[in-house]
Amino acid sequence: MLLFLSISNDTFFVYYLLSNLIYLFLLITAIFKNTMHRHRLGSLKLELLKASPFTPPITLLVPAHNEESSIVASVKALLSLDYPALEVIVVNDGSRDRTLQKLEQAFQLQTARVLYIPDIVTAPLRGIYRSLTEPQLLVLDKEAAGCKADAINAGINAATSPYICVVDADSILEKESLMRIMAAVFSDPSRVVAVGGIVRILNNCTVTNGELKEVRLPRKPIEVLQVIEYLRAFLVGREAWAGFNMLPIISGAFGIFQRDLVKQVGGFRTHAVGEDLDLVVRLHRHLQEEGRPYHINFIPDPTCWTEAPSDLASLARQRARWHKGLIDALWPARDMLFRPRYGRVGWVVLPYMWIFELLAPIVEIFGYSTMFCAFLLGGLSEHFFLQFLLFGYAFATLISIGSVLLEEMTFRRYSDWREVTRLIFYCFFEHFPYRQLTMLWRLQGIWQYLRGDMRWHEVKRVGMSANPTV
Amino acid sequence: MGFISSAIEALGPAGLVLKAILLSLLGILLLVGFIISRRWYRGRYFRRRNRRTVALRAQWEDIVSGKVPPGDWRFNPLDCDIVESILLDSIEMGTPETLPSLLQCLRKSGLLDMRVCETRVARGWQRRTALIALGRTRAFEAIPALAEALDAHSRETRIAAVRGLGRIALAEAAMPLMDRMLIHLDVPEHTLKSALVKCCRSHPEILVNYVERADGPVRQLLARVLGELASPDLGEELLVLAADPLPEVRGSAARALGRTNASFTLPALDSLADDPEWFVRLRAVVALGQVENIGKIRTLLRALCDSNRYVRQRAAWALARMEPQLGQILEDVVATKDEYALQVFISELERSGAIEKIISAMELGPGRSAQTLLDVVADARNRMGTNSKAAAVAAGGR
Repeated sequence: MLLFLSISNDTFFVYYLLSNLIYLFLLITAIFKNTMHRHRLGSLKLELLKASPFTPPITLLVPAHNEESSIVASVKALLSLDYPALEVIVVNDGSRDRTLQKLEQAFQLQTARVLYIPDIVTAPLRGIYRSLTEPQLLVLDKEAAGCKADAINAGINAATSPYICVVDADSILEKESLMRIMAAVFSDPSRVVAVGGIVRILNNCTVTNGELKEVRLPRKPIEVLQVIEYLRAFLVGREAWAGFNMLPIISGAFGIFQRDLVKQVGGFRTHAVGEDLDLVVRLHRHLQEEGRPYHINFIPDPTCWTEAPSDLASLARQRARWHKGLIDALWPARDMLFRPRYGRVGWVVLPYMWIFELLAPIVEIFGYSTMFCAFLLGGLSEHFFLQFLLFGYAFATLISIGSVLLEEMTFRRYSDWREVTRLIFYCFFEHFPYRQLTMLWRLQGIWQYLRGDMRWHEVKRVGMSANPTV
Repeated sequence: MGFISSAIEALGPAGLVLKAILLSLLGILLLVGFIISRRWYRGRYFRRRNRRTVALRAQWEDIVSGKVPPGDWRFNPLDCDIVESILLDSIEMGTPETLPSLLQCLRKSGLLDMRVCETRVARGWQRRTALIALGRTRAFEAIPALAEALDAHSRETRIAAVRGLGRIALAEAAMPLMDRMLIHLDVPEHTLKSALVKCCRSHPEILVNYVERADGPVRQLLARVLGELASPDLGEELLVLAADPLPEVRGSAARALGRTNASFTLPALDSLADDPEWFVRLRAVVALGQVENIGKIRTLLRALCDSNRYVRQRAAWALARMEPQLGQILEDVVATKDEYALQVFISELERSGAIEKIISAMELGPGRSAQTLLDVVADARNRMGTNSKAAAVAAGGR
């Protein structure tokens, strides 16, 4: 028994160490890549891109399901984005509230008999509407299929631009975000097939008429911890993976894709829980199989602000759902693992996702349990046990503070001294007890997946119009 | 110290972990310290910069005219940086009247020479920054230094040189760019096109010569730029390009012809609207939409029956915007007996909001022909509604 516990503890130690070392490597890569990106931005003038006749049009796809509290403000903000050729398609995905009515009132919608060709199969459309006041706005009203992917696919069918950008209805894009994200496409249009932008947390920021006026750090500790988590995931993880062309996910809240390529892979997979991750993995598969040179990129400055769960129950539901999405996307891609045909995606990033993301809750909870058992049975020196926990904690905290540093060196969205101090202070709680809580929620996600519970559990949101300082 | 290290040694494997903890804690302290000191330093720097900006702005006229000798600010790095950035911003926003004095200040102070020197001597990001700054000066003498950087080994440097030449926005800056393109220039297409558009805007004719000399993708790219800038006086050259073997060049010629509005425009676009490549036909139809001539209706009606749906849509778009002739056009569309053409045209009339007006006009109109037309339109509208629903229902049925 003690031998088993000892082997288990050693394995856990190596696992934890390896996980943190990889993240340290990603942090260093991200700092380097970020510096390069900022230098590049220095020579790029966004106004020139805006005035260029070669800037390709974009269709913004906004799936909306029961979004009556924020839909009008969101659409108004999207329509006012700085981009020369913009089409906005809102897909009302069988909302049971007054989402469509609110849109009808605000934008004077009228039925449009336009030809709609369903290249990608979706749930039936109930109607297509055009706005009398906003010519670039198109609203699709469709029956609910129980998933966001279906709504996005309907939008893709109606999109007329070569690039589509998927945005959540409850999110806010910064004015220049589309120009900035498209700059990555202009750098190499033949290779860059998809680009992701950064998602930041909107809670406690001041929003007026769907436009972000003032950035502030959220008040609640649970929200601040999510800010740190997002900084680490986006500024470090995605930035670094994209640097090696191994980006496994583009956030469903904000990302652009080549429309025809998405159509080629059959659109977003309906009923996928994590449709964003699933699509990117399938794009990697498709492009690698075709042997086509490509780059799926991440750019850290185009920003999308979104409301994060502000209570533990909602956060738990969100994290369980994310983990279900992870399994749901990785399981069908299991044949890509360690296959030379899929290059570094199959050899590096997918194994990483399996070992250090998908299995993390099982390994960690099991690891903590065996350590505790060994401690109780006297098979582990008390000093060593505490020191190991301290080391794991200190090393991981170092990386969290590293991501705050990266934010400080680059975009400095939280400019106030007190806010930065709070951010650093909360870094000490991200790995205890927040991490352990998220592991439990993720474990719950695995359990739900194994039970076949693929429901989209609602996450409570305040909404932009309900609270002026969302 | 000896006591501490022997105590750690005595801990065995736990000692190693203790060392790791101490190292991590040290890392945390260093990071926090770095964040704090960086914030403090930046705050101090910007306060100082602000003060100096106010001081220099107060004597700005004298600095530009040279009454304040350049030696007073030129050798203080902060002052030099502030003056240069104000000068470059002013040049970018400047009018033809203010530009000479600003350029004179750049030249007399030696700032221009400093940047030229940097583009030749410096390496990496410093060189790229200098290239962009040099481009922003819009000075003629900056062109050779920028052109040299087009041969740089680093792609980033070449991109910066292209952007710099684009910022100069003079036809002379486009020459070295196109000369290199004829040999080989590995720079993103969008960057090249944007730079060329800016440089050739006032003299698009210089592109024609290069289009003729180039082949393959470079020819396509140059033709695309020409398509954006073409003016009516380029007539004959555009007709030659309209007969080019490369479809992309023909497409660009179609785009360019849309801007000329000359006597040869309509026949040339009519011929391009029958091109075997769908995107050439599409561009020809888009160009026809810009031409002010009712003679285009015949071509657009033909395009409305095209085998490609994008061509049909654009033809419908162009036709639906010819308000005084809409009644007659609708009759002609019905006469084509092409279901697709009728649907796409009515769909476009719905979108533009003109359908109700036409129907009202027809309802007031006399005779059976108006009634027949009304019936056809009503029937088409009904079927469109049913078809869309049927397509969606079929799609939903999976």
